[in-house]
Amino acid sequence: MKLTVNGVDTPIESGPLTSLLDVLREELGVTSPKAGCEQGGCGACTVLVDGEPRRSCLTPVASIDGAAVTTVEGLGSPEDMAPIQQAFTHHYAAQCGFCTSGMMLAAQAYIDHGGSDDHEAIQEALGGHVCRCTGYVKIVDAIAAAVRGESFDLTVTAPGAAMTNLGGVR
Amino acid sequence: MKAVGARVPRYDGVAHVTGHTVFVDDIRIPGTLWVKAFRSPVYNAVMTNLDTSKAEAMQGVHVITWEDVPLLEYGHLSALGIPADEPLLAKDEVRYLGQPIAIVAAPSEEAAMAAVAAITADFDERPALFDVRKAFAADAPQIHVEGNWYAHFEDEMDRRQIRKGNIEEAFDKADLIVQGVYRPAAIEHAPIETQVCQVVPEANGRLTIYSCTQALYFSMGVVAAHLQVPLNKLKVVGGTVGGGFGGKVDTATETMCALLAQKSGKPVKWRWTREEEFLCSSTRAPWHMEIADAVTKDGWILGRRMLTLHDAGAYSRFSPYGLTKHSFHHTGAYSIPNLEFDGYVVYTNRTPTSAMRGFGVTSVSFATETHMSRIALELGIDPYELRLKNANRIGDTSPNQIVYTDPSTVPTILAIADAVGHDLTPEYRAMTPDQRSGSLLPEHLVGQLGNPEAH
Repeated sequence: MKLTVNGVDTPIESGPLTSLLDVLREELGVTSPKAGCEQGGCGACTVLVDGEPRRSCLTPVASIDGAAVTTVEGLGSPEDMAPIQQAFTHHYAAQCGFCTSGMMLAAQAYIDHGGSDDHEAIQEALGGHVCRCTGYVKIVDAIAAAVRGESFDLTVTAPGAAMTNLGGVR
Repeated sequence: MKAVGARVPRYDGVAHVTGHTVFVDDIRIPGTLWVKAFRSPVYNAVMTNLDTSKAEAMQGVHVITWEDVPLLEYGHLSALGIPADEPLLAKDEVRYLGQPIAIVAAPSEEAAMAAVAAITADFDERPALFDVRKAFAADAPQIHVEGNWYAHFEDEMDRRQIRKGNIEEAFDKADLIVQGVYRPAAIEHAPIETQVCQVVPEANGRLTIYSCTQALYFSMGVVAAHLQVPLNKLKVVGGTVGGGFGGKVDTATETMCALLAQKSGKPVKWRWTREEEFLCSSTRAPWHMEIADAVTKDGWILGRRMLTLHDAGAYSRFSPYGLTKHSFHHTGAYSIPNLEFDGYVVYTNRTPTSAMRGFGVTSVSFATETHMSRIALELGIDPYELRLKNANRIGDTSPNQIVYTDPSTVPTILAIADAVGHDLTPEYRAMTPDQRSGSLLPEHLVGQLGNPEAH
């Protein structure tokens, strides 16, 4: 068997029924897909298989022999981040970071398929992904901003603006 | 102070979105053994005939039981001199479903599961208690030798007690007694990263512990105590937590992995399944709270009697600490001068409960705020005005006699009224947190005032 992982042709030695999650994490050392539940419930293991989001924990590797697999490592690097990565950073959509990889890949597929910045549509597309930190608002905001093609300032801004909002409350 | 009011990117944000953050499960150490647990299949039983011999005979398998633990009982509150009530591994009794009994390390996850399946024990089941009210009753079956009430509050009291003012007089003067019972349920933290730990035995005799703990120094002390080794034998690496919310304050995995690393001489890793996370990790406690307030027709709360039962589950862990915080907050954000509070940490056969966000306080806030609305409803008073009237002000004292120097109740309630468009009369709209005087200092509140300057 072989896979193209983040653009690199890679022979696979694991058994045919090994989950794609275990192949990526244990055989190949690609650790961004997470083992959150290993039963398809949380979305933290999601990767793109030929551009479509898939639960890697429920995907026997033999069933996708020859496919192209994309993880967040394949979206962009710290020096050259993809728009969805910049959006997640700018909007604080990654808190503990554990669900982030799956969230971003589902979001990337949503954007690639021409999704809109409508919040309900984004919620529907990301419905299978569980986050326990953010309450989802920042994640949806980040995806909507990425859909709109906004540019993001990831540097420290000047102090002052946030404080004025507290003026009315002692 | 450059960061105050500025927009500052998360220090770990870029690593999170590019897959560079290394969580405990992402650490790669060749030759690492997988760890799995043999857990109690019943809620309450005497255990006999624990037999791990078949598992130990398997190729490359290592097993620990209670016999391998140098100090079997130790807890996070032990450092404060409070007796521990929970064995690291069950010895001859089990008190909750999923309680760890024997832990195995094996060359693969499958081999570890096979080893667990080869372990046997006999369980002579006893009645299990799941309702904190039933466990609290004097004639309930006893879950621990000492009984069902945790018995080690200050001066070895079996309850957390607060007395303030003259409660009898307050109830004598009341126009109305308003009562309520509040019972929030248990909540599982459900972090997306389950409990996980890796321990590496180093050539210099130390153990390196990679932990998802939220409380690294707690864990370090707990591991050192169980193992009976000095702290300098442990190097604990933490700081990256895939969600915790209090569920990673207890030391769930580190000690057992450390013992297995010692015994096997090999690196070990234990990653709980989602099922284990739900069934076996600590939860937020279920609470039972009964409130009776002595109130006047015009909306003053003269006194409060309160009974709280905190469901500890099978072992106390941090529950006494949670109940103490609970007791200090049992008037909520309001000044009630006469108090009679009795709180108990009660054992049941549920999974042990422990820390979770706002530990001990969310329960009492739910109860007290619901009760405030109930009082307003019964008196026919605007619930915002009832709250503003009784709100903590500068110089008021808390249940445990702390003098408030900058209470935020009044501005918070005014902000909420603004946010939801609730109309207030000019008298209430103009309120501030300043010290009580005039109509806001009725006779019953005079005696409870403290001097904020002294703090």
